[in-house]
Amino acid sequence: MAISDATYKEEYKRYWLVLVGLLLLTALTLIQPTMFMENATFAVQMLIGVVKAWLILMYYMHLKGEKEIIMFTYFSMFIVLTFFVIVIGIDVANFQYGDLSHIISGDEAAAASQTHGAAHAEPAHH
Amino acid sequence: MSHEYVPEIAVDREGKEHKVQGWQDDIYGAKLGFWLFMFTEVLMFGAMFMALTYYYTLHHDDFLIASSSLNRVLGGTNTVILLFSALTMGLGLLKMKHGDVKGAKLMIWATIVLATAFLVIKGFEWSAEYHHGVFLGLDALQAGNADSKPFGQILFFGMYFTMTGIHGFHILIGIGIMLWLLKRINAGKVSPEHYILHFNIALYWDLVHLIWVFVFPYYYMIGAGLTGGAH
Repeated sequence: MAISDATYKEEYKRYWLVLVGLLLLTALTLIQPTMFMENATFAVQMLIGVVKAWLILMYYMHLKGEKEIIMFTYFSMFIVLTFFVIVIGIDVANFQYGDLSHIISGDEAAAASQTHGAAHAEPAHH
Repeated sequence: MSHEYVPEIAVDREGKEHKVQGWQDDIYGAKLGFWLFMFTEVLMFGAMFMALTYYYTLHHDDFLIASSSLNRVLGGTNTVILLFSALTMGLGLLKMKHGDVKGAKLMIWATIVLATAFLVIKGFEWSAEYHHGVFLGLDALQAGNADSKPFGQILFFGMYFTMTGIHGFHILIGIGIMLWLLKRINAGKVSPEHYILHFNIALYWDLVHLIWVFVFPYYYMIGAGLTGGAH
């Protein structure tokens, strides 16, 4: 037997407590858009998601007390995010294919759509 | 028929026997290695979430309208199902560590049933969307024809089907590895003394749950405040 009865009971209780917390947060997720802070739905939803994620990571994924794994994860995230932001930043600053890209804003898309439609309306000159 | 785990023994020059530390005993190494794997999963989904956020800033209104048309009852039910499946998986591991192998197997089966329920509900949801004409490859999600949805909605639904599809595929893989875990337990390869495989599969399942924690609000809830379009 790897763990004692006392540890088992304590962890068993913790699993259920975390579940109750997650269920309450899920209920909050479902009622928020129509009940409170309706103008900041995206931010509030993400905030609730972060709290839920923290509970899952710390208790269900056993990261609580795992300082080395937490540091390893943070360090990896920091390195990747830094390089990601630098590379994407350079790419966005020097974007050369605006005419070909579909990833444009709503106004630009409407303008491009009109131009595209006009081009199709013209007879072909081959 | 069960097979007891027999550690490998190495004998040194003086004839002394030493137990070789295999992966079964290297809990920390196995855990760290699996976290590294999960980090690659986070990178994949993280990139998709970043793209989604970028598109959301460009096509704000289209995203809200498209989000409001998703079925929040089915999405919410699946959220609760995954919550309980994370509990059963965790309790299964706890029971294994405590020596209750039968209880652990029961909890793994419960997780498999819940995971299957998730996929069935997702199947109903996709099927309804297909019959409403909203699915990858159908006219509504193709630009440049009379039935096309606005460009932002095409992006939204394209990302929605891609991400929920990849997530569903992870659920399917999860069911597969849980069945494999049951086979390993029955063979005596996973036991209260050697449970690292069980531990890592539970971690995988929590990751699948963790991803859904953000997929659900991102797609189903951001447009829930709009009137008219919601189910």
